[in-house]
Amino acid sequence: MDTDRERHRARETAFYLFTQQSLPACKPVLTPGWVIAIFLFMGVIFIPVGLVTLRASHCVVEIVDRYDIDCVPEPSRMDKVSYIQDDSIPKNCSRFMKVHKYMKAPIYIYYQLDNYYQNHRRYVKSRSDKQLLDGQKYHDTSYCQPVESNNNRPIVPCGLIAWSLFNDTFEFIREGAELKVNRKNIAWKSDRGHKFGKNVYPFNFQNGTLIGGGKLNPEIPLSDQEDLIVWMRTSALPSFRKLYGRIEEDLDVDDVVVVNLMNNYNTYSFGGKKKLVLSTSSWLGGKNDFLGHACVFVGCSSLTLAIIFVLLHVKYRRPYGDMSYLPWNRKSFSG
Amino acid sequence: MIYVRESHVEKMGKTQDVSYEILNVLEFNSTRKRQSVVCRYPDGRLVLYCKGADTVIYERLGTGNDDLNKVTRVHLEQFGSAGLRTLCLAYRDLAPDLYESWNEKFITAKSSLRDREKRLDEVAELIEKELILIGATAIEDKLQEGVPNCIQTLSRAGIKIWVLTGDKIETAINIAYACNLLNNEMKQFIISSETDAIREVEERGDQTEIARFMKEEVKKQLKQFLDEAPQYFCSPSGPKLALVIDGKCLMYALEPSLRIMLLTLSLNCSSVVCCRVSPLQKAQVTSLVKKGARKITLSIGDGANDVSMIQAAHIGIGISGLEGMQAVMASDFAIAQFRFLEDLLLVHGRWSYIRLCKVVMYFFYKNLAFTLTQFWFTFGTGFSGQRFYDDWFQSLYNVIFTALPVVIVGLFDQDISSSLSKKYPELYKEGVRNMFFNRRIVAIWACFAVYQSLVFFYFVSLSSSTSRDSDGKMFGLWDVSTMAFTCVVVTVNLRLLMMCNSITRWHYISVGGSIIVWFVFIFVYSGIMTRFDRNDNMFWVIYVLMSTSYFYVTLLLVPVAALLGDFLYLGVQRWFFPYDYQIVQESHKDDADSINTPDSEETKEHLTPDEARSNAISQLPKEVSKHSGFAFDSPGYESFFATQFGKYVPPKAWDVARRASMKSKSKPK
Repeated sequence: MDTDRERHRARETAFYLFTQQSLPACKPVLTPGWVIAIFLFMGVIFIPVGLVTLRASHCVVEIVDRYDIDCVPEPSRMDKVSYIQDDSIPKNCSRFMKVHKYMKAPIYIYYQLDNYYQNHRRYVKSRSDKQLLDGQKYHDTSYCQPVESNNNRPIVPCGLIAWSLFNDTFEFIREGAELKVNRKNIAWKSDRGHKFGKNVYPFNFQNGTLIGGGKLNPEIPLSDQEDLIVWMRTSALPSFRKLYGRIEEDLDVDDVVVVNLMNNYNTYSFGGKKKLVLSTSSWLGGKNDFLGHACVFVGCSSLTLAIIFVLLHVKYRRPYGDMSYLPWNRKSFSG
Repeated sequence: MIYVRESHVEKMGKTQDVSYEILNVLEFNSTRKRQSVVCRYPDGRLVLYCKGADTVIYERLGTGNDDLNKVTRVHLEQFGSAGLRTLCLAYRDLAPDLYESWNEKFITAKSSLRDREKRLDEVAELIEKELILIGATAIEDKLQEGVPNCIQTLSRAGIKIWVLTGDKIETAINIAYACNLLNNEMKQFIISSETDAIREVEERGDQTEIARFMKEEVKKQLKQFLDEAPQYFCSPSGPKLALVIDGKCLMYALEPSLRIMLLTLSLNCSSVVCCRVSPLQKAQVTSLVKKGARKITLSIGDGANDVSMIQAAHIGIGISGLEGMQAVMASDFAIAQFRFLEDLLLVHGRWSYIRLCKVVMYFFYKNLAFTLTQFWFTFGTGFSGQRFYDDWFQSLYNVIFTALPVVIVGLFDQDISSSLSKKYPELYKEGVRNMFFNRRIVAIWACFAVYQSLVFFYFVSLSSSTSRDSDGKMFGLWDVSTMAFTCVVVTVNLRLLMMCNSITRWHYISVGGSIIVWFVFIFVYSGIMTRFDRNDNMFWVIYVLMSTSYFYVTLLLVPVAALLGDFLYLGVQRWFFPYDYQIVQESHKDDADSINTPDSEETKEHLTPDEARSNAISQLPKEVSKHSGFAFDSPGYESFFATQFGKYVPPKAWDVARRASMKSKSKPK
């Protein structure tokens, strides 16, 4: 009797259960009831979430204006590349943006580039984060080739990403008064604080024969050069937006905003597009219906599937757990 | 010098110890099938005692004493048909000078360096002749407990069982009856070398004539049976076929010209019994099936004579026990009793197959889903080869983030419990037909992997085209990729839970743990910037992500959208096209969980010996036939053979106690 009790106690230890393959387990069996219940549950969860998300996206007001073709004067439209590369021609351009719905401050200004592959492998590689932090003290900038040094002097910040800095500028005037654009705080705080050095100044930047983009003020340390910081956070897709600034005033319906922009940046050599975007923001960010539509779609299809399953269950009822469905129990089984 | 306690020569009822000097021992081996010993009596008389199989002893008997030989042969046949194992004993008086000359040859042979076995055999031949028969012995050799049940269950599972034994044909047939391999309804094809025609030719003595005649006989019989066999197939409820063939005929049947006929015939039979086979023939038969029929073969044996057979088969199983450990040492698996074979195959073998299929499929699926996401990304990078994920993500994906759960599944997944697996042995056929890892299954998993990778990539990247931060800032490449990777890890781990049949606490721990490890890793990885970081590092990416509400909405949406297709497929498959094991699962869904009471069978009450005996006797087969195999029934009752002859041997006290204690450990029949 003692050995029986000992054996029984030994049988309950975790190690014994583990080695004897008899761990307590839950054996879920997916019954039709569960399938229908789960689909219903998903429908009930996702449709409201989707609707809330869609609403957030719909209450964002966005104005998009493509200006790269229209800002090239008529005679030069045949050869836009040489127009843009000609430094002697002033590149001013005026655009009109009509506000179709009330936009509450802050209103975010983005420039959108299309067909611009910031995610190209050679492009993404072409930077030196350590040099951004340490400046000229850091020497191993081989990844920045061919924009590593010029006339035997190092370039700070090196690399193609910095070299191709976007340099169109925008000014906004409404009813004769200039709208103040806040160009501070447009980059992520972690970038400003930790990725770009506070004591690093641009050096020998954009001095070469081939100008890729904007110039940098050598007096301002990199951690305050927010345009550069925003530009250097390479985007994932070939069509992207980057934050330019914020307007801290409301815009009413039917306001006409005059945009005076400098069309400096060359996207014509590779068929790229430039757009200016004014957008408000919600708790979910900018205007993007995709999430909302996806949630609603998942919710609706779950509900539809639940209904279909209920109908099928009623029509093609297979007796649940009926052993006569096993092949060796069926009469026509032959081996 | 050995001492034998014999009854006193002169005084009745008293014993004396007589000393004998053992001069030579001629050891047993399976080619000679006998063993002998030369001893010297106290009065100087030299005697050779020989013991062995009846065929080899009878070959070496001297003339004279023919009456005794005939009577003994009759007895031997009777013993054989009762299913007992027989031996013959014989002796020979040796003259001293004959012995001396022979002993010299023996010592030379024993100390020779080359071909010692062969030389010893030759020397033994010289002295083992002109023997005088003493008599025959018969032994009741009981089968192990649970063997007939086990064999019946395995044949229900679709496994064909062949018996290869060194015993005589009658003994072998009896064993087969006892094991349920043969029964009276089966049509038996018997190819034996002990027919009168063959004996007649053998008496003539011409070796080549014998060989040619036997070959012709075997060929004729094989052809005849092959022609007869098809007619039994036409009716599905017709009798099953069985083949019985003995070692000498097998020798001719395994020759290249007759081998195919033998194979065809034997594959059509539900059971095959080969008797009087030598160890080499056991291996040859196994190879015949393995290579000729291209089936998976398993051989199980417990003695040294089974070693070659165990090694010849695909899977060799040794039973450790009374006959020593040679079989165990040569085998792939060792078990303690024959009946554990049922557990090994039907429970653990089946579970291993299911687990292997799941693990392999899951591995391909998770890597496919992960890698195809990168593939879709290349379309948006101008085909420049920019990677979507960080290097460390890719390296650690298979090592930390998704590794442990699949190992846990491979260790613990059970579709149905072990008792149900044995109750429905037909489920074993699912593995034989390879239903869980064929092209269709692989294609389905691949399609779902493609679908999921599309969901991962496009849901995340299309929803990041505008700012996701309430403060208007935009995501960069590494933010999008970290978001996608988080979704991949979560989805792939949840998919594992969906494909488990039994979920233990370790599953929860490993799946939850893997996801938590991912978060811990990314918190640490993106929180630290060191001197040794590469370019374009991921500093602070996850904190940026987690500060947006977009992260949480997407983390809710993407795994659900990705798994929607899989869930739908599982529901439809289980409902309309269920596998056999799923039907069994459903019908036993509400069974009480019996894992914590594995000893429930042990608490039966003990039966008294009388009750046990009458219980067992009532379970004997009721057929009226010479062959009932009762000699081999499981222990638990007295010798039925003895009782049949009216010799009721009262059980000894120690025997009753032993059997009573065995009964308490045995399972109910």
